[in-house]
Amino acid sequence: MRRSTQLNRLNAASLARWVVMTALLAVAGLSYVYLTLQLHWLGDRQKALETTLAGLRKQNDVANVQIAALTSRSALQRRLKEGYLKMVPITDQNIVRLAPIHPAPEENAIRPVANDQVGK
Amino acid sequence: MRWNGRTRCALVCICFVLLFSAFSFRLVYLQLVKHDEYAGLAAEKHVYKQPIYAERGVITDANGEILAHNIPVEIVVADTSHLTKEKVAEAVALLSQELKLDPDELSEKLGSDRHYIVLKRDMPTSAADALRTKLREQDLHGIYFEHDAARLYPNGSMLCHVIGFTDFDHKGIQGVEASMDEYLRGQDGYRYIEHDRAGQEIVLYRGQERAARDGYQVHLGIDLNLQNIVENEIDAAVREYSPQKATIILMRPQTGEILAMANRPAFDLNQRNTAKPEQMKNRAVIDMMEPGSTFKIVTAAAALNEKKVRPDTTIFCENGVWNYGGRTLHDHRPYGELSVQNILVKSSNIGAAKLALSLGDQKFYEYIRRFGFGERTGVELPGEINGTIRPPQNWSKISITRIPMGHEVAVTPLQMTVAMATIANGGKLVTPRVVKSITTAEGKTVSEFSPSVVRQVILPETAKQIGNALRGVVSDRGTAAAAAVPGFVIAGKTGTAQKVDPHGGYERGKYVVSFIGFLPADHPEFVGLVVLDDAKTSKPELNYGGLVAGPIFSRIAEKAARYLDLAPQPDLIKPTAPGRVASTGASRH
Repeated sequence: MRRSTQLNRLNAASLARWVVMTALLAVAGLSYVYLTLQLHWLGDRQKALETTLAGLRKQNDVANVQIAALTSRSALQRRLKEGYLKMVPITDQNIVRLAPIHPAPEENAIRPVANDQVGK
Repeated sequence: MRWNGRTRCALVCICFVLLFSAFSFRLVYLQLVKHDEYAGLAAEKHVYKQPIYAERGVITDANGEILAHNIPVEIVVADTSHLTKEKVAEAVALLSQELKLDPDELSEKLGSDRHYIVLKRDMPTSAADALRTKLREQDLHGIYFEHDAARLYPNGSMLCHVIGFTDFDHKGIQGVEASMDEYLRGQDGYRYIEHDRAGQEIVLYRGQERAARDGYQVHLGIDLNLQNIVENEIDAAVREYSPQKATIILMRPQTGEILAMANRPAFDLNQRNTAKPEQMKNRAVIDMMEPGSTFKIVTAAAALNEKKVRPDTTIFCENGVWNYGGRTLHDHRPYGELSVQNILVKSSNIGAAKLALSLGDQKFYEYIRRFGFGERTGVELPGEINGTIRPPQNWSKISITRIPMGHEVAVTPLQMTVAMATIANGGKLVTPRVVKSITTAEGKTVSEFSPSVVRQVILPETAKQIGNALRGVVSDRGTAAAAAVPGFVIAGKTGTAQKVDPHGGYERGKYVVSFIGFLPADHPEFVGLVVLDDAKTSKPELNYGGLVAGPIFSRIAEKAARYLDLAPQPDLIKPTAPGRVASTGASRH
């Protein structure tokens, strides 16, 4: 009797250790699965956002093309001819000349060449 | 040997050890030795190298106005292995209507067993979206869409020869599109992706990735405002004179920047498939012409620079008829004694011939070459030709009297412009430039083209003397009074050369008329060349450079001077004559 009692006695500390270890392993496993699923979900989300971004970029490109086409010189001239646009000539009285008359440079003088009259 | 329990147990253990050892060796063999091979095979099944396409760079003018850019489009392709036979008729009915394709041709294509058939390129994205929806509604498979970009030129035919165009593979094949292709096309990137059984990318397993580098932006030195002036005037000239060909160039002499360049015939860059080869030629750089009297500036500059003569040295011009080498040389009017200056003003052929004779064949040839004739100018435009300048050993006895007046030589309009720019620039020959700078899409400068002086051709003093003489050309006593611009002193030279017959000799009654000049004569802001090939005038005697090309130059120069805000000299402003108005429809002189 004494012998069987001795054999079936549970070691509580050891059991607890095993339970904790198993629980930790289970949590780690579940976390791994959860995080993997999260990564897949985020990947899908990233893909969706990339698609949206590409779509927006495409729309932007199309809009830029339309702007360029509508404001191109030939388009504006056509609209001017059709009467949609009107141009009023600037009279001499309304011109304020800012650029002074350039003096003739020396033979070998370095001359500025940038066209500073066109808003650049 | 006794087969007791212990022996049997040992035998089983040994078998297990051998078995698992074999498995282990096989595992090591597969995982280590054959790893790369099998990994490659597995990757072939699931891993796909997805290209990331770079966007072609934009081309702009000097003010940032867009000349060429991209529009997203889609390519419609078919994989007939995914299209069931029963659905072919349905697909043909839908696609022929949506893509505007011939039903019979489409039926033949979709009836084949090919896996990749391009049905339509450059389909607008909105139309592609609509078609995609219809395909889904009708449950039609096997029709796919690929992203692409089409090149668009907002200004149509304006500046067509300079901008050029690309082929369907986005490779530049003409103009700046071709010469700057390396910068414009960018570099495609890639990304290794894995996809699932449904073909969807598994983002988690994305592999190595290299981002695409979009093409650089190319900024031209050409100013679209000046180009517009030139285009309007060349169109007016074509309407008025119906020339076979026409070319106009504006160039800044100090830097070599081409400010405007136009040729006729021209073509619409967006409709390039319908253009004829003749319309696509940039005649400013690939066409040769006999320059005629405009070439006399080279002759006079050489003689003055070599101190053989002075501007006031007089030369007897034989009263208009001179026999040399057994052939007669004529002037269009009989002249007696003319100063070197007046040889240019009156455009005396005999005077120019005598100037060249004073130099001798070799020296004269050297100067022709020093002015850049017979070699490419180096402008960033493809297909530029050298022109034809024969060496003195190939000259005939009379060549020395014909070349000074621009015969027996063939030059490009751009070479002639560069030569005049050399006079305007104090004798310095600069490389003409079409491209001003190259930047990234964010505006960071990649490359900037600074003025490049090739050589000092003549002394600044000589250039000044020629410039002074050329002022007289655009005066009441010169050949190009009609090229004058009120308020400005212009230096220029006319040219009228009989048209060369490709079968030999010259074509009777057909002329290449030209005018080349710069403004203001004291401190030139631009050099302009106007060339009309076979202009049709009401009377043959009106077909002269000074009468046809001169007024065109005048109108362009006047408008360009206003645009560049060049201040006119009040004492030079005269009341405009009734027929001499600054409009495109000016009358002839």
